[in-house]
Amino acid sequence: MGLLTDPGAGRGKLTMMLEAHHGRLCIVLYLCGVVYFALLAHEHFSAATYFSENALLPGLVESEYDEDHSAKKFLVELKDEGSRYPDSMPYSWLLAKFGQMGLETYTHNFTLEYPLGPGSQYRGKNVYAILRAPRGASTEAVVLSTPYRPPSSAHPTTHPGIALLLSLAKFFRRQKYWAKDLIFLVTEHEQLGTQAWVEAYHQASSGHPGVLKHGDLPARAGAIQAAVNLELRSDRISHIDVKVEGLNGQLPNLDLVNLVHRLCAMESVRHTFKNRDNANYADPWRQWSYSFRTMMSMVFTQATGMTNGNHGLFHRFGIEAVTLEGFERRTAGGPPMFYQMGRVVEGICRSLNNLLERFHQSFFFYLLSATDRYISIGAYMPSLGLMCGALLIRAFSLWLRMSSEESAQASNHESNESKDEDELTKEVDQKEGNINDDKFVDEKIEDTTEISEKEESTISDVKEKLGLHGGPVLVVVGGLVLAAHVLGVMAVNLPVFVTRFAVTTWNIPTVDCVWIGSIVFSVLLVGAATIIARMVAINPDVPILLNIAALLELATLLLAVAMHNFSLALVCGMLCTPIALGIGTFKRWWLRGAVRILWLLVHPLSLLSLAVLLAARTNFPEESLMGLLSRTNLAARQALLLTVVDSLVYGSWAFNVAAGTFLPTWLLLWVAS
Amino acid sequence: MVCFILVPFWILNVGQCLVQKDRFDEELLLKPLPSGHVYAYFQFTTVWDAPSGPQMFQHCHLFPRALGEVAGRHNVQELHVTLTEGLWRYEYWGFPVSDAAPGAELWTWFRNDTKDVDNIWKKLTGALSGLLCASLNFIGTPNSLSPEYSFRPTGVVKNSNLNSSFVRYATLPREIVCTENLTPWKKLLPCDSKKGFASLLNAGHIHNTNYHSLGLHIRPVCKDAKCTEVSIELRQTVSLVYDMMILGFQNQDWSLRKLFGLGLSGPCPLATSSFIYVDVTSNETGTPYQLQPEPTEVITSIRGGYESKFKVYNIQKMSFTHMLNIVATYSTPKVYAVNVPPVLYASRYIVGYGQERGGIVTKIHNNHWKHLDIIYLENIPWFLPIYLHTLRVVAGGKEITPILKKYVPGKERSRPYSLEVLLRIPARSVTEIYIEFDYVFLKWQEYPPDANHGFYIGSAIISAYLPVGKNYMGLPQAGPTIYSSFNASREGFLLQLRTESLIITLPTPDFSMPYNVICLACTVVALAFGPLHNITTKRLCMKDGNSCNGLLIRLKSMLFKGRKPQAQAH
Repeated sequence: MGLLTDPGAGRGKLTMMLEAHHGRLCIVLYLCGVVYFALLAHEHFSAATYFSENALLPGLVESEYDEDHSAKKFLVELKDEGSRYPDSMPYSWLLAKFGQMGLETYTHNFTLEYPLGPGSQYRGKNVYAILRAPRGASTEAVVLSTPYRPPSSAHPTTHPGIALLLSLAKFFRRQKYWAKDLIFLVTEHEQLGTQAWVEAYHQASSGHPGVLKHGDLPARAGAIQAAVNLELRSDRISHIDVKVEGLNGQLPNLDLVNLVHRLCAMESVRHTFKNRDNANYADPWRQWSYSFRTMMSMVFTQATGMTNGNHGLFHRFGIEAVTLEGFERRTAGGPPMFYQMGRVVEGICRSLNNLLERFHQSFFFYLLSATDRYISIGAYMPSLGLMCGALLIRAFSLWLRMSSEESAQASNHESNESKDEDELTKEVDQKEGNINDDKFVDEKIEDTTEISEKEESTISDVKEKLGLHGGPVLVVVGGLVLAAHVLGVMAVNLPVFVTRFAVTTWNIPTVDCVWIGSIVFSVLLVGAATIIARMVAINPDVPILLNIAALLELATLLLAVAMHNFSLALVCGMLCTPIALGIGTFKRWWLRGAVRILWLLVHPLSLLSLAVLLAARTNFPEESLMGLLSRTNLAARQALLLTVVDSLVYGSWAFNVAAGTFLPTWLLLWVAS
Repeated sequence: MVCFILVPFWILNVGQCLVQKDRFDEELLLKPLPSGHVYAYFQFTTVWDAPSGPQMFQHCHLFPRALGEVAGRHNVQELHVTLTEGLWRYEYWGFPVSDAAPGAELWTWFRNDTKDVDNIWKKLTGALSGLLCASLNFIGTPNSLSPEYSFRPTGVVKNSNLNSSFVRYATLPREIVCTENLTPWKKLLPCDSKKGFASLLNAGHIHNTNYHSLGLHIRPVCKDAKCTEVSIELRQTVSLVYDMMILGFQNQDWSLRKLFGLGLSGPCPLATSSFIYVDVTSNETGTPYQLQPEPTEVITSIRGGYESKFKVYNIQKMSFTHMLNIVATYSTPKVYAVNVPPVLYASRYIVGYGQERGGIVTKIHNNHWKHLDIIYLENIPWFLPIYLHTLRVVAGGKEITPILKKYVPGKERSRPYSLEVLLRIPARSVTEIYIEFDYVFLKWQEYPPDANHGFYIGSAIISAYLPVGKNYMGLPQAGPTIYSSFNASREGFLLQLRTESLIITLPTPDFSMPYNVICLACTVVALAFGPLHNITTKRLCMKDGNSCNGLLIRLKSMLFKGRKPQAQAH
């Protein structure tokens, strides 16, 4: 506040120093941020997980689950029954099984109006059963869900998960200790089914209105406290992978994650995070690098803003949820794991049943570097803060330089007019013997005089041409910022518009339509921006002001995104910050060109392609370069389409953030570069 | 045998008893429900031709004096208390004999001459709270309603001019019912729990149920057909719903011993009648079962066009050589058939997410072939402001205009929101009543312990006059006993449904971190205060840009103050 009100501010020694050395300072800050983040994986910087909510009382009671034989029977029957319906769920079989246990059974219909292209409809049907708690009045509930995958599905089967779910329902039905209703949910069409069900439960649409018609549920069971999603690929599982990353980077309460790991450990089920066991290397360097890779794996998954299991769709509704994915054992033989898995899930449900309050303790924002170590928000936020700090300092010093130049110019004008006075003061200063200060001022005045003498004429010419005088610079900059954001809004709506128009007219597949549309739009934008940049660059104030505005916006954007999805902000920050710092720094043409090319690489579309390339490289290490490129080409198109569809159906804001806020900032910086 | 001196007193006592004629009936109704559960309903009825006047409850015989005094002192005309754990599932269980909302529910009609009803209501709840060991003392004006239409007196009324300012209704949905409530409740019975049906009420067994509800109902009834004088009737009820599966039994056979832990040793000696009724209507449609021992009587009751069959055990006529154990044996294992829901049932839920605004939806299912008129009573606590203009009633996609609306807006911390809607719901339809509300911030002391558990919203009440008697088990208005409900066909049957109570998460502060909040607040204040103080107290003025005013210079100028004017004068 002092800075804003004190007209003498910005002339202090500290600010002078900041202005002089800000380049180095920014680089140091950025590097500190990166190094600090990397260090977080080290065990000195992360903490061991613990139970914050004492009411969970994990494993306090002896597990009693003994329906593993019925799980085996259910699995055989389900395999047989499922093969009769290659494309759909055996509804009647599931309903009959739940019904025979004496549970309330219901079905739920939903419709998807495909938002892109000419419009097609997909229908789906979920099956759910409610076990009414004998000790409650249906005020609270816990959900156990499993996606159903028909034989024609590309994903691995989940039949063993459903068999386990049924056997658990049979076992739970006989117990008298339930205080919360249990909902057994079998969903169709992967995430779509779960999303429709959760939306129908709350009668609220989170995507684009009219896209996912969630329908209504015939029965409910109060406020859902937690959800556990089971995805067992086989009855003979090697390990359970606990998935946490949800839609828009939301995470479940750490207590729930911790609970699952603890109970798995108790029942001697091998449990992993990101498919990685906990390492125990003696060598600290290897230990760190292992933890770092686990952490980065989580960062990259979270940064996509998409959920890696059906659990992620519950988070928006304030429901803590995790997915337990069981991977098939590679080695042949060994007994089925239904007994152990049943006990794990029983333990989870009984712990959740103990809960008196909703999950509110422990952490909602964290990164995991192992199954039992976490990095809290307080520990990881500074790394991004340092990077954004670098951006803000750069913006501030640009502002300082600009205003000092302006005032110098102004003073120069004045000094020319009233030279006598100037000399007079100089003399006074000299008399006072303040040699250093004097020199500094002298040099500065000389500098600015040189510049102003060189450019004075041209600037004034242009200013006259453009009609710019002081105030109008702000108008131009403001206009550009506004225009960029209008373009951003257009970019958000582009896919729906393009597909509606182009798919019918030229009969191009939706995937290509969105991809080509985006590329054409981007190329046009970049071209237009380059021309505008040439036009406005005649007044040197405009690019600098633009640069300041864009840097401020970028820093704010990164911090705001970090509040929701830290990983996304971190990845963007790591890539963008150094290049954004370089914009407007260099005078030499080839350095400026290099910065421009690098800045092109962080365009949202290029970032997407790079990310896909990286993913392809890690998933298919044996592929040749050409093969990788063609894979990337195809996958990037799909990824873009999926991001768009996700934003319309699930209300994921990855696309909206990239197109609506990041793209305008990118454009502004492009103009400024 | 009696000492001579005592005789006059004894005669006096007998005389008193003869004057205050009273009778006590104990009844137990057992009914296997279509969902496989077993419904056990106890009813203990005391009818007392009490002398009117202020001395009324000073000499009691069978009527519990403790309760009588409370009722007499607080000018109570009618009193209905229920303490319930669990929720009655209308859709699967049909209708109960008497409905009750989850938690504690209390409604009272005060006499017409009562002054300062609010005050006396507060005192009454306090007294009842002590009598029943329940938290009824938390009921006061801030959570009580005076519904205009939903609650009419069930007993005799002297003049037909009813003023709803004398009725009070309140619920405590969070109340947990346990042994501590059962014990004082049993003490109100003439035989306590030592003899008669009350000896079946063992805490260990009745709290193992899916639903249990204790009830106390006092009302004035006619003494005779002419109704020139009134008597006082006290009905004590226990509703229990057992799930044989969770009790650890392999089959669905049930017996008194399985349900209550022991058999019946005999009737209460003070009882005028003791009956056990077993509803065997489902034998003809569902899985049939055999009863052991044979009943003393079989009654066929036709009510509102529907026939039901009861096997009756007249306990007073049975000889007790050993404990009586009524056993029901099923010939075939239970098959869960398609559920046939009753004529009218409802469900309620909260819609929306986040902590800004939400909505409450009540879905009312009408399975009758004709339209039904219902009264819907919404009872919303003051911390959940509802908006009347958002009230929407939709049936089958068509909006229904309510016949009548009575809305009493709530006041923060002093009055709940009360909304009564009279509706005509179409035949075979599902009607949705939707209303929006806001989430508000409470003061920090107003959060209950375990603040993150959420806040309860009491049940809504749907009252209807059913034209058919299907599934209906309620008592007729004139008769106090279950026996009187047999063959009691009327024009309509009054039904009051209670919906689920709801739980809602209000924005809750993080109570575990007051320290952080204090630190943060102090820092913010400290940071903001300096500059604000600066801005507001200092005057801004332009300064010569060229003059250097670094710290060093200012120091120098202070040191060499005398030389400065000279320099300027130069």
